[in-house]
Order: sequence, then structure tokens, then C-alpha cells
Amino acid sequence: MTEPQDPHGPGDWQRLDPRMLLVHPVQETVRLLPVLLGLLVAGTASGARGWQLLGLVIPVVVGLLRYWTTSYRVGGGRVELRRGLLERHVLSTPVDRVRTVDLTASPVHRLLGLVTVRVGTGTASTDGDERLDLDGLPAADARRLREDLLRAARAARPDDPDEPSGPHDPDNPDDPGRGPVPAAPPVLTFDPTWARFAPLTSTGLVIVAGLVGGTVQLLDALGGFRRVDAGSWAERVAGVPVLLAGAGALVGLAVATSVLAVTGYLVANWGFTLGHADRAWHLRRGLLTTRETSLDDARLAGVTLGEPLGLRLAGGGRLAAIVTGLGDGQESSSVLVPPAPRAVVGSAARAVLGAAGPVDVPLRPHGPAATRRRWTRALLPALLVTAACLPLATGSAWWWLPAVAAPLVAAALAADRARGLGHALVDGYVVSRYGSLYRRRHVLAVGAVIGWNIRATWFQRRAGLVTLVATTAGGRQAVAVLDVPEADALALAARASPALVEPFLYDRPATGRSAQWPTSTPSSRT
Amino acid sequence: MTDAPTTSPLLREPRHRVSPRARLMWQVTALVEGAVTIVVLLLVGLAVDAVDVRWWMVVAAVAAVLGWVAVVPQWRYAVHRWEVTETAVHTQTGWWAREQRIAPLSRIQTVDRAEGAVARLFGLATVTVTTASAAGALEIDGLDRRQAVALVAELTARADAVEGDAT
Repeated sequence: MTEPQDPHGPGDWQRLDPRMLLVHPVQETVRLLPVLLGLLVAGTASGARGWQLLGLVIPVVVGLLRYWTTSYRVGGGRVELRRGLLERHVLSTPVDRVRTVDLTASPVHRLLGLVTVRVGTGTASTDGDERLDLDGLPAADARRLREDLLRAARAARPDDPDEPSGPHDPDNPDDPGRGPVPAAPPVLTFDPTWARFAPLTSTGLVIVAGLVGGTVQLLDALGGFRRVDAGSWAERVAGVPVLLAGAGALVGLAVATSVLAVTGYLVANWGFTLGHADRAWHLRRGLLTTRETSLDDARLAGVTLGEPLGLRLAGGGRLAAIVTGLGDGQESSSVLVPPAPRAVVGSAARAVLGAAGPVDVPLRPHGPAATRRRWTRALLPALLVTAACLPLATGSAWWWLPAVAAPLVAAALAADRARGLGHALVDGYVVSRYGSLYRRRHVLAVGAVIGWNIRATWFQRRAGLVTLVATTAGGRQAVAVLDVPEADALALAARASPALVEPFLYDRPATGRSAQWPTSTPSSRT
Repeated sequence: MTDAPTTSPLLREPRHRVSPRARLMWQVTALVEGAVTIVVLLLVGLAVDAVDVRWWMVVAAVAAVLGWVAVVPQWRYAVHRWEVTETAVHTQTGWWAREQRIAPLSRIQTVDRAEGAVARLFGLATVTVTTASAAGALEIDGLDRRQAVALVAELTARADAVEGDAT
């Protein structure tokens, strides 16, 4: 039913699955819940009956309208979606622009056997109205549609390498019970013990910050602060030393953060599997809302191994894909491995890249000049902090803390940042690593490099260093090789893209500073 | 660039300088911007009682602007270069921070010629060559207008000759 009847002409406009008639009203009710509660309270207070019912009718009607006004069609080389009652939207995208096809299913969807199909194109738009979401197709149809779209997208691209990659079985579309499963044997399956890494990422902190902020706002709104009697609190706390109370609060906060982070991690990543089938990587995860992502092999430009400091110290890491045409804003579509042990991340990266070198090979360090630069850049601001704090230290001893801590932290940071620098060109991938608080090892296929930027400030030129940037059409749009000696940078660029870079190279004369080129404004170009 | 006695290959500069009128344009722009900034600061300083405007502050500001006008456009003109070969576009921009960019013609997405109001006064234009990467646009500022038109035509023709969507 969801298949294009005629691959050459546009199909008929179709409605989504009628079961969405059940989903939309529920979703709208949940979305309008604060308003409904307000109505309920107001209605009860004013004594008027019946108004509360109206509050329920609105979301139901909105939900029903959403179903009746939404339709889609696939065919004629396009995917089109039409929706909206007052403001009509018609979204249309050529099939060959389809980069990813995501399937998500909220608990309500899963109960009814439905799936939302999100067709990802390379658009930079973040507007929710401009997303091509087919919200509500039967699970089997959705999966068939995904395969059709990905296959059509591949067929429409002339530059696609034809050989099937990876020693994986062709798909066998059997899906047992509730959940869709990648057809091929998964490369990676979830292990609940990975959740131990969750508190070490920033997600937990964000959750707690949000909760604390929300609670404070709520208390404030209810006038809670005025009712809290500061005097009685001071008396109760007086028995306990301030430091102990502070430590207790910190431990409590840490525990709360950890629990929340672990819970969030398990909810988001439960049942995580990564597999390869039909020339695409398929990823599936989620405890309540399941999410399936497919990344086309031809669009997979590389990977980024991320090691935030906390994860790194605990021996963990995470893996993201650099997908051509998928920008930084669509990060959730490019996750390959959530925080997990380094060995797991490494083996997944090797499998995805089809080569072990980029993950394992020791990187070429950037030498003493780069190290010196890391130290000066870290220490100078820290020493300024110290200089600013010292005069204040005569007034209060507390100022000694930042005055001493700043240079120490800066020194540790500088040493670690210097150690992290490195690059390599191996198995057809450009590899670059940098950073300390968030260390990343970028691996980018040479074929995905669409240009080179070589940048140097006056200070860098004096130190003989440059920052080499390989631009690409995915992820963060560029992979930087930070503070690399100029000769190394050019050697790397020239070996990676000889046809592009070599015409612009010259052999440095042993004595001269730079070669002379005709400098007049040209009347003719070569 | 260090003078280390090595024979490792280096990246040469692009062949062509931009139009010499660009230097003048940058000087005039910098002068006008500097003058406007000083006047605005002066007016704010005179209007707000808390700030005590001294004559040496004005002199210092004027000296800074004049120094900037004397040095930076000249420096920038010495650095700005461009070249188009059979296979690639190569640009060099900046002054304090210097950046060379190389992009293959086969990856060009758009070629854009822009003439700002000031640039038109000087008969200049800016050509921007974008690739599929947001980090990879090549900009040639201060090109002679006729040259810019010809360059755009040439680049467009060459980019058209490439199949695929250049990502």
C-alpha cells in the first residue's frame, strides 16, 4: 500500500494509517495538558460545569483534523507530503536527495503497531514544519518504504560505487513481534553495564540543572521562598558544620545526577543494535520510544570517536558518524555508539570504516613547537587570573584558591592537550585527534574531502605551524588538524589529494624565503 | 615560515593579486569606519557624565585609526591572492591570520558575484565560490569587475561540466 505503484509516475495521494485517529487525540491531549489542567482548575473554582469537557473536545478535534488533512505520495522520483488545514504545507523532495530514513515509534505508536517515518534530506532547515515526517504507517509498510527510498536514492546517484560493501547477508525481512530488527547479524548489541558511563557525560548534569531550575521556578511561583523561614533553617543547620553540610549536599547531588543519567541512558539506548544490511548501516535503540536509523554506505564519510574527559578516565568513549549531507544539527541521526567501553567503540569503528588502521595506528605527534603553543595558550590566561587574585588575597584568604589553582589546572590541561595532538593518513582515511576536556579522533575518508584550508596566524607562522582543515559536506563540515608543522601539513594534504594539492607545491630552495611568482594583476588566466 | 634548511615541498601562493584599487577601497572603508566609531564614542562620552573625555584619548583613538589605515589594507593587499587552474581554485586571504584555501572545480556548488555599494564606486566585485561544505567557501574580495564577470562565467561553465551533486 505504501509502495509506489508506478515508479515513473507519481502515485496517488494516500492517507496515513487510520489508527492515527487514536494516536493524534492522545498526543494533542498530552501536549495541551497544562492548559487543560488550568481550565479544569479555573472551571472548578468558578463553579461552572461543562467547560472542562470543552477542553477535552478541542485536542480531539485537532487530532482528527490532523489525520484528515495529511496525505503523502511516493513516486515519480519524489516523496511528497501535504498537510495543514488553514496553512497548507506541501513538502516535496527528490528521492536522490534522501540521506537518511529514520523510523521512530512512541509507546502509543508501538501499542498500535505504527511507526513514524522521518525522511532526512540535506536541508539546513531546523523548522519542525519543514520536516518530512510520515507520522503513522504500519510497521511493515514503513520498513518496506525505507528500503524502497534508500534503494531509489542509491539508483538515482551516478557517482555511487557499485560493489556491495561488507560481508553481510542480504536482508531477510522477518520481524518478530513488537520490534523491527536489522536484518543482518548485528555488529554490536547493547550491554546494560554500559550505563555505568552515563554519569560521566554532561547529560546527567543537564538533567539536574533543568530539574533544579524548574523546582526553583515552581517554588518561586507558589511564593514558597517567602514562606520558608530563614531563621528556623539556620537554627536547624547550626548543629552541623558548614563544610559537612556542603559535602552532604554535593554527594546527594552527585547521586541524584548519576541515577538520572543512568535512567536516561537506559531509556534512550535500551536494546541498542548496530548492524549492516543492504548497503546501509542500521541502528536501533530505545526503551519506550524506539528509534531506527539507517545510514547509507555511500553517504558515510567517516566517524568521530569522542572521548570527553570523564569517559576517557573511565576507559570509555562514544562514536558518531560523519554523514555527507547531514549537518551538525542532526546529531541524533549520526550516533553510532552511545557511551560505552573503549574496546566496544573501537571495534564498532573498525567495522564501520572497514579498516583497523584509522582507529589503532599511533598518530604522528605535532612536535615541540605545537606543545609550546599549547602551554603558552593555557598558561597566559591562568597567570593573568593569578595576577588579578593576588592583590585581593591580602583581604581574604579565599582568593589564594583561584590564584594557585588556575595555573595548576592550566598546566594539566596544556600537558593533556599537547599529548592529544596527532594526525595520520592510513587506509584512505585522514585521521586527526585533538582536545582534552572533549578529545575527539576524527576519521574522514579521503574521497569525502572537498577542499583544504591552511590557516596560520602570525604567531603560528613564527612557530612554523599551521592549522590544516579538510572540509567535507557532513558532520561539523570540517576536520581540523591543529597546530601541525607546515611541512607535515602539506605532506598530509598532498598525499590525501595529490591531484588537487600537488600543482600548488614547490620545492623550497635551500636558502630562499619564498618563491617568486609573477605578481601583476593578470590580463589572462590560465 | 621558518628558514629551516629542508627541501620538503611548500605551498606556493596563488599567482594573481587582486586589483590594486582594492587597497584604496579598504583604506577608505577603514578610514570611514574608524571616523564613525570615534565620533559615536565621542558623542556618547560627552553625553554620559560618568566618562571624562580627555583630549589625549581622542588623539590616541585617531592615531590608532590612522595606524590601522596605514598598515592593515596594505598588509591585506600583500596577502590577498587567487588563482584558477584547470582543476582547482586557490585563494589566499587575511593579514594577521592568513588562510589559503584550495577546492577542486569538480566540487563547486555555487559561484556568486557580489558588488557592494562601496565596491561599485571602485569598480570592484567579490566572487564567492561555495562547495558543499559550510567550512569551504572561497572568497576573492576586491577583484576588478570585468575580471570578476569573466571569472564567474568560466567557473560556472567548468562546474556545469561535472556530473553528480558534488558532495
